[in-house]
Amino acid sequence: MNVSHAPIASLSAPNEQAERALAALWTRPPGLLGWLCSTNHKDIGRRYVVTAFIFFGMAGLLAAAMRIQLAFPENHFLGPDLYNQFFTVHGTTMMFLFAVPIMEGFALYFVPLMVGTRNAAFPRLNAFGYYAYLGGGLLLWGGFLVNAGADAGWFAYTPLSGPDFSPGHRVDIWADMITLTEISALSGAVVVLATVFKQRAPGMSLNRIPLFVWAQVVTSFMIIFAMPAVMVVTAFLAMDRLAHVNTHFFNPAEGGDALLYQHLFWFFGHPEVYIIFIPATGMVSMIVETFSGRRLFGYPVMVLSLIATAFIGFGLWVHHMFATPIPLLGRSFFSAASMMIAIPSGIQIFCWIVTLWTGRPRLRVPLLFVCGFILLFVLGGLTGVMLASVPLDLQMHDTYFVVAHFHYVLIGGAVFPLFGAFYYWFPKWTGRMLNDSLGKWNFWTLFLGFNLTFFPMHILGLHGMTRRIYTYVAETGWGDLNLLATVGAGIIALSVLLFIVNAVTALRDGIFAVANPWLAPSLEWSTNSPPPAYNFYNLPSVSDAEPLWHSPEQKPVVVGLSTEKREVLNTTIMDAVPEHRYELATDSIWPLALGIVVTLTMTFVVFTPWAVPWGMFFSLLVLYAWFWRGNEPKFIVEAAKPKPQVAAQPTLVAPA
Amino acid sequence: MNTAVIDVSRLPPAVEDHTSPIWWGNLLLLFIETTMFALLVGSYFYLRMNFTNWPPVRSDVSLYQTDPDLGFATANLLVLIASCVPMFIVDRACLRLDLRSVRFGMAAMVLIGLVTIALRFFEFSGLKFRWDDNAYSAIVWTILGMHLLHLITGTAENLLMTLWVWFKGLDIRHARDVRVGAVYWYWIALVWIPLYALVYLGPRWL
Amino acid sequence: MSAAEFQSALNPAASESAHIAHLWWIFFWVTLVIFALVAVFLFIAILRNLRRVPDDPERAIIPEPAQATESRATKVVSALVVITVLILFALLIGDFFTGNAIYATPDPKALAIKVTGHQWWWEVQYQDPQPSEIVTTANEIHVPVGKAVKLELQSTDVIHSFWVPNINGKKDLVPGHPTTTWFTARRAGEFRGQCAEYCGEQHAHMRMVFVAEPPDAFSNWLSAQKKPAPEPSSDSQRRGREVFLASQCVMCHTIQGTKARATLGPDLTHIGARKMIAAGELPNTRGYLAGWILNAPALKPGVRMPPNQMSADDLNALLDYLESLK
Ligand code: HEA
Ligand code: HEA
Ligand code: HEC
Ligand code: CUA
Ligand SMILES: [Cu+2]
Repeated sequence: MNVSHAPIASLSAPNEQAERALAALWTRPPGLLGWLCSTNHKDIGRRYVVTAFIFFGMAGLLAAAMRIQLAFPENHFLGPDLYNQFFTVHGTTMMFLFAVPIMEGFALYFVPLMVGTRNAAFPRLNAFGYYAYLGGGLLLWGGFLVNAGADAGWFAYTPLSGPDFSPGHRVDIWADMITLTEISALSGAVVVLATVFKQRAPGMSLNRIPLFVWAQVVTSFMIIFAMPAVMVVTAFLAMDRLAHVNTHFFNPAEGGDALLYQHLFWFFGHPEVYIIFIPATGMVSMIVETFSGRRLFGYPVMVLSLIATAFIGFGLWVHHMFATPIPLLGRSFFSAASMMIAIPSGIQIFCWIVTLWTGRPRLRVPLLFVCGFILLFVLGGLTGVMLASVPLDLQMHDTYFVVAHFHYVLIGGAVFPLFGAFYYWFPKWTGRMLNDSLGKWNFWTLFLGFNLTFFPMHILGLHGMTRRIYTYVAETGWGDLNLLATVGAGIIALSVLLFIVNAVTALRDGIFAVANPWLAPSLEWSTNSPPPAYNFYNLPSVSDAEPLWHSPEQKPVVVGLSTEKREVLNTTIMDAVPEHRYELATDSIWPLALGIVVTLTMTFVVFTPWAVPWGMFFSLLVLYAWFWRGNEPKFIVEAAKPKPQVAAQPTLVAPA
Repeated sequence: MNTAVIDVSRLPPAVEDHTSPIWWGNLLLLFIETTMFALLVGSYFYLRMNFTNWPPVRSDVSLYQTDPDLGFATANLLVLIASCVPMFIVDRACLRLDLRSVRFGMAAMVLIGLVTIALRFFEFSGLKFRWDDNAYSAIVWTILGMHLLHLITGTAENLLMTLWVWFKGLDIRHARDVRVGAVYWYWIALVWIPLYALVYLGPRWL
Repeated sequence: MSAAEFQSALNPAASESAHIAHLWWIFFWVTLVIFALVAVFLFIAILRNLRRVPDDPERAIIPEPAQATESRATKVVSALVVITVLILFALLIGDFFTGNAIYATPDPKALAIKVTGHQWWWEVQYQDPQPSEIVTTANEIHVPVGKAVKLELQSTDVIHSFWVPNINGKKDLVPGHPTTTWFTARRAGEFRGQCAEYCGEQHAHMRMVFVAEPPDAFSNWLSAQKKPAPEPSSDSQRRGREVFLASQCVMCHTIQGTKARATLGPDLTHIGARKMIAAGELPNTRGYLAGWILNAPALKPGVRMPPNQMSADDLNALLDYLESLK
């Protein structure tokens, strides 16, 4: 047996001098400016995760306020105007500023490590993506703080969101925030795909890619085909609203159509929920594999299920529109398609359970969260199947039944895996272990609080409680269950607090983490915790899907990459055969500059269409600087200068 | 350490073909853009279902004309298609690292780009309706405008590479960049064929 | 207060909602069993081999699972997939039959009611070939038990959604897309309905009263509604009418038989006969009515009806008049 907690020696630096030299090449320049210029995937991934988590906290606090307002009939905690802003900003933040970016963050941090390379492809694009995301978040929340918080719901149906019924700039800010976050998601997707296509370790053929990476590949493709729809629809909306433009895409009086908006939005919106869910299944697969101590059962069907989910996911959007006046036949088709998607999801559930069944499960905190995930997601998925039936949906649509469904699949299906992933990868990320017993408390309070909050909502929905209402009369009899839900939300808040406490104390004085604390099989665990700036001194090669479980020390390593330029190895798309070397861009200030220009453009376009040509002009200026190699600020050039190189590379040559 | 190694120092340090990550990055970008145009086309047909007269008539404007002028538009289409030829010549020249051809070819491409942009503005003035008349006019203006944005970025990209090859010469990596830019340009020309048909022939034939 | 029945999709009072409730229980039991099975197997899977001594590399990892286990597992998973497909198929068939029952073409003799959504109230019009026989009211719908009813739904501002859970599923009122839905009430009762699509600030208070009543009671009600507003029968009521006609009320409201003909707000011809005011939010009592007239936005923030200044006497007279409009 050769699996161990230690880093893989053959991938590490032969001596300290060599390690320092390579570290100097890949480390970002010092100081705040250096930090802003960083193009290291670990810096960027971490930024995404931390920022997204803060947005989760803030959107969660809004939810808590909404729950207080709903705790009693005719409560006066929030008025209608505030309440409407709260749920819109809550939903928008959770979807666009939390769930998608945090998954993206995990991808950017771990995909390069898992495929065995030194940095993600297109490092500057990657850095820019984060700034665009941050800009979008600041725009939305900035607006919210000056009483211009979006208030038309997270899908902002026209005509309510149109110029006639939403005067002011609330909706404009919302639409422009979407554009910024989509730019970010799209750049992240391109980076992930190029990294996985071209930078995999030699030997990592398609059937040896870790499932988390597969999940991110599938997700990235979904982003590429789904996000343009929301950019188009928000652009139409913004043009309809903007003074001096005033188009009529959605104005029925001039041949526009409110249903066009819904089609375009949900053509994006449904895939969006799988963009959130599929990466989470990737996390679950990794955790299940590690803690059941055996190869994941049914790897090929798992991959096919992901792909099938993505494909079918583009054919379901109309199930959000069953109540609208659209032809019956269309509805039946989308109903059948929506039920069909239970098959790939079911396959995944079955494979995970079988893996646990035939393995030797160690019930550590990450696995605990995965168990919670399976229970809650299956429940949420089954209510999804109910909603897929047109007659049932017509009763449940736009009620708390739907609110319950999507919190079960979003929190059960994505937030539980995320917490599991935090406990699982925190050691790799920070070099410290999170506290186990606090983790168990964290889990049980979350599980309890979650069910208390959201289970009653199913019943409320059946009893006619519609969503997006800021209050209700006592006569309805909804009071008790709402109070229960509010109590549950309090427990969730406590649980989140426990997690924050756990993370903060672990960062200060948690136990140090070894390279592979969980005896996991994938490559990110072969290097130190936290990984050095360059990830691997010698790049790994792989010959199976669980590299660390099969004689990792004996596998050939890659040598011969430049020690003076940030070079990575490019391999072929299918079989990952070494193909050529590739120099990555250095750290740079221009991604930040472009991020600022783009954010300002989208801010000013709230007020005037002239922001577009100006924004384009300045963006092009920045892009010229960006591409004009060799004009990086001096301190970066200095920092990137080759350092004295001492260690000789091993020169053994072996069969590839 | 007795591990076998895979020595990659002998592999090429750069390539200029489709094995390069940037080539794939560009391809993915084109997926995004193509999806975007496909959605615009889809919206065009969706909106069309709402009109009994397509393009719509307006009662308040006598002789309301909805057929966009064909003259400049067709000229522009031909220029765009023809522009693929010099682009292709530059593309080939990059493979040979033929600095002279690339320099002049790229300069020509910038000029052609400026011509198509100028022609596009004439196309706009050939529209006898404003973008804010109705849904039809909105989608037509938007398709033209979105494509214009691509003409501008494509030309700006070509200008950047032109400046580079004039001032800094040509190496494999920049030859690759030029070639990736060429793919982008082919795509700009190619998508315009169906879009032209839709915008200019659609109102006449649909 | 009014004795509305418990609002619930599972307490059907019409053919349509009964079909749906039936389908619901099929889905409910099937999915409950699936959920229970998943939970049980998950527990067993975790507990049967649970390592008590974790992190022992020798025992924690199985690098090569046994071939026999793998092929058995493959069989199990394949069987489960087949079962999943079969169950889904069965559910789809149930869905199909329910759909057919609900969407059978409506009776051509169905009672036609036109419902228009407004921010944030319902305009209700009982159609009649004879224009003079058309009845307009608001926020309260009466239907005869046992007769098919066809609703013609439309909106002129934003999207609303018509929903009475005990009667039928909802239907969106999308501007530019007039549509219809239909149902047949099967028992008498008073129910609550509400707008289900978010339509702005007061979406929460866009409710309605729905009354299913025996055909006789219904036709009595309808013929009462057809009459213009009764003439005032006391001085105070007469003065109330003067107040009404002299103030800005006439800019928004209609009272048949007077010169008040505006349609921005609900028709008030028979306001005295309504159970609730302000779109099903407040009971139609003198107190609430007074509060509403003096300061509607205080009761329903954002409402499209402005506050009204008037003397106590005027108000009393106005209330007397409005209450007389049975
Ligand atoms: C992570 C997010 C996520 C996920 C994974 C899902 C998964 C599913 N969703 Fe959900 N959904 C949302 C997020 C998500 N949804 C959101 C956010 C909304 C509301 C948006 C809004 O209006 O604001 C929504 C709304 C929504 C609607 C519209 C409701 C309405 O507004 O009226 C519908 C209707 O069909 C639906 C269906 C489904 C289905 C069929 C699945 C399926 O993928 C589920 C498949 C899984 C299982 C079925 C469980 C596992 C399977 C087995 C154990 C096998 C055995 C099972 C059977 C034989 C049935 N969803
Ligand atoms: C991933 C997505 C996600 C997540 C995680 C959540 C989490 C929660 N949601 Fe959310 N919700 C949505 C997505 C999500 N929601 C969407 C898309 C909508 C639809 C919006 C619309 O209709 O437009 C919605 C709508 C929605 C409604 C319906 C509103 C309405 O229709 O009127 C409600 C009501 O109870 C609700 C409640 C909650 C609660 C109690 C939580 C809890 O789980 C939250 C728990 C978190 C906390 C309580 C925070 C704890 C914070 C701290 C301890 C401090 C830390 C602070 C910092 C780090 C800054 N949500
Ligand atoms: C600017 C328009 C406007 C004016 C002026 C106005 N109303 Fe209204 N009124 C409305 C609207 C709109 C509603 C529906 C509000 C809602 O429920 O959201 C309404 C509702 C009502 C209702 C409740 C009807 C129901 O069925 O729920 C009454 C009663 C009423 N108004 C009486 C009056 C009286 C009396 C006056 C004058 C003193 C008046 N209104 C002036 C617009 C107006
Ligand atoms: Cu009308 Cu909600
Ligand atoms: Cu969906």
